[in-house]
Amino acid sequence: MNILLETIALQKIYKVGKIDVEALRGVNLRIRQGELLAIMGPSGCGKSTLMHVLGAMARPTSGKVMIDGENITGMTDNQLTAIRRKKIGFVFQKFNLLPTLTARANIEVAQHIHGQAAGSDHDQHLAKILQLLMIEEKMGRKPFELSGGEQQRVAVARAIANRPAILLADEPTGSLDSKNSEIVLNMFRELNRRFKQTTILVTHNPELVAYTDRVIEMRDGVVVSDNDPIPRDTESELVQPARSV
Amino acid sequence: MYKKMIMAGLAARPVRTTVSILAVTLEVTLILVVVGLTAGISDETAKRTEGVGADILFQPPNSSLLLALSNSTMPVALGDKIREIDGVKAVVPIQTQVNSTSGLEVIYGIDFDKFNEVTGGFIWHKGGRFSAPDEVIVDDIYALARHVNVGDHVELLNHKFKIAGIVEHGKGARLFIPLQTAQGMTGAVNRASLFYVKLKDPDQVHTVIERMKQVFPTYGAIPLREYAKLMMSTSMPALDAFIETVVFVAVCIGVLVIFLSMYTTITERTREIGILRSLGASKQFIVGLIFQESAVVCLTGIVTGIAASFLMARLVTLVFPTLTVLITTGWIAKASVFALLSGIIGSLYPSLRAAAQDPVEALAYE
Repeated sequence: MNILLETIALQKIYKVGKIDVEALRGVNLRIRQGELLAIMGPSGCGKSTLMHVLGAMARPTSGKVMIDGENITGMTDNQLTAIRRKKIGFVFQKFNLLPTLTARANIEVAQHIHGQAAGSDHDQHLAKILQLLMIEEKMGRKPFELSGGEQQRVAVARAIANRPAILLADEPTGSLDSKNSEIVLNMFRELNRRFKQTTILVTHNPELVAYTDRVIEMRDGVVVSDNDPIPRDTESELVQPARSV
Repeated sequence: MYKKMIMAGLAARPVRTTVSILAVTLEVTLILVVVGLTAGISDETAKRTEGVGADILFQPPNSSLLLALSNSTMPVALGDKIREIDGVKAVVPIQTQVNSTSGLEVIYGIDFDKFNEVTGGFIWHKGGRFSAPDEVIVDDIYALARHVNVGDHVELLNHKFKIAGIVEHGKGARLFIPLQTAQGMTGAVNRASLFYVKLKDPDQVHTVIERMKQVFPTYGAIPLREYAKLMMSTSMPALDAFIETVVFVAVCIGVLVIFLSMYTTITERTREIGILRSLGASKQFIVGLIFQESAVVCLTGIVTGIAASFLMARLVTLVFPTLTVLITTGWIAKASVFALLSGIIGSLYPSLRAAAQDPVEALAYE
C-alpha cells in the first residue's frame, strides 16, 4: 500500500507575543493511501496544528512534510494553495459554509476554485455523494436554513466533491448532537469505503475510535501511541505519487 | 460562480451596498452637474455672444473671456478710434453688469441705436425700445422664467426697472438697459466694458484684428466666430482649476466610501476569506473577488449617477430656467472612468489585506 502522507521530525513553533510556543515537537508519521484514521488527544496537544500542516495551511518550523510525493516544507504560499486546491479537502467543527450562498452554491464554489469543469462525470460523482449524504433535497437552502447535521453533511460534500486525495476533518462532530454525530461518522466510513479517500479525523472524542481503522494519540506535541504504525524500513513503498481518487 | 458569490455578498449587506452605490452616484452626479453647469453657462454665453451678429469683440487689457467677469473699462470715445480703422463698419460700446440676486444674469448697458447698427436689431416679441433711463428690455427666456410681461417691474442691482420690451433671446445678454444708466450705476461714466465691432467684409476679420493690434497693442481683439472655442479652451485656467477641484473632491468621496465599505466588508468576512483559502483559493482569486464586488458597486453607481445627473439638470432648469446644464458624452465617459478609478483605488488596500490573511488565523476569526 502506498504511503500518501509522511512527516519527519516535524516541529512547529508559534510566537505568542515574545513567547515561543512549541505546538509540535518532532512528529514522525506515515499514513497510507485510503486509510481512515483518527488523531486523538486532549486540547492543546497539537493535533489541530498537525492538521493545518498536513493540510498545507501552515508551514512547519522545521522537519519535513511529504504529501503525495511532494515535500511541502519549503513551498511558497502559491504552491501550498495549489496543494490544498488539488489534494486536500477540509471539514471543520463549525461547518464553515459560506453563509450567503445556498448549499449547492457552496459546493459549486469549491468546484470553481478547483477548476473543475461541469461535465457528466463530475455531475454523476456529485450526485452519488449527495445521495449518500442524503442532502439532495437540501441543495437550494442556505446554511441558516439547515440543521447542524445537514450543514456538516454539506460541508463534507463540498470537501470531497473535487475528489481530493486526503480528507481532513477537525472535530467534525464537535458541534453535533449524538444522533447527528453517529450519522456523520457513519458517512465518513461509508465515503472512505466507497471513494477510497485517505480520511483523517482530528478529535478529542474517544467515541470516534470505533469508526476508524487506526488511532494515533498525541500529547504535548508528540505522538505517544499508534495502533498501526508503518515501520521506517518500508522506504521503497514511499511516495509513489498517487493521483486524486 | 464569481457572479453568484459577488451578488450574494452584496445582497447580504443591503445597507452598506446601498450607501456605497449612493456614494458613487453622488460622485458621478457631482462631477456631471457641476461640470455641466459650468459648461452650460459658458456654452450658452458663448452662443449668445456669437449671436450678437458682430465680427470682433474688443476688450480692455487683461480682460476675461467671461464677459461678466471683466472689471476693467475703456473710454467710450475709444469706439470712434476703432471705427477709424480700415474695414470697420460699426462699433457699439457695452457696459456689462452681473445681477446675482436670483441666479446669474448678465446685463448689457447698450446704446440702443448703435447696438441695432452692429447686431441688425432685436426681434421683438412684445413692447419696444427704452423711453426712460429706468427701463429694461428682457429676452423671452427671462420673461418666461420670471413670469413677467411688458409694463411689469423687476429689481436689478437694487434698482427698480420697468420692462419696456421682450425680445428673442441670443443677443449677448438676457437683459438690456440704457448705457448711461449702467454707467451711472457703476460710477463709470463715459466708459465701456467692451466694444462689438461690425466689419464691412466679415472675411477680413484677421486682417482688421492685426490693424487693431497695431493701434491698440495691449487690448484684446477676438473674432466672435472663434469665441465659443476660446471659451472652452485652456485660455480659461481658473475654470479648469475649478473643474479639477470638483473632480478631485468627487473622486475623494468615492475612494473613501469604497475604501470604508470594502475594508469593513473584508473585516466582517475574514472567516469567509479563510474558508475560500482553505478550499484552495489563491490570493489573486481573493483580490479579484473584492475588486469585482467593488466594480459592481461602481458600475451600478455610475448608471444611477448618470440618471441622477440628467434628473438634476432637469430640476435645475425647472427652478432656474435661465441656467443651462450641458451634460456631454465626453464628461459622462470621464465621470465613469473617475468612478471606476475610485473603486479600484478604494478597494486596492482592502483586497490586498484580505489576500494576505493567514488562512488558519482567518478561520479562527470570530
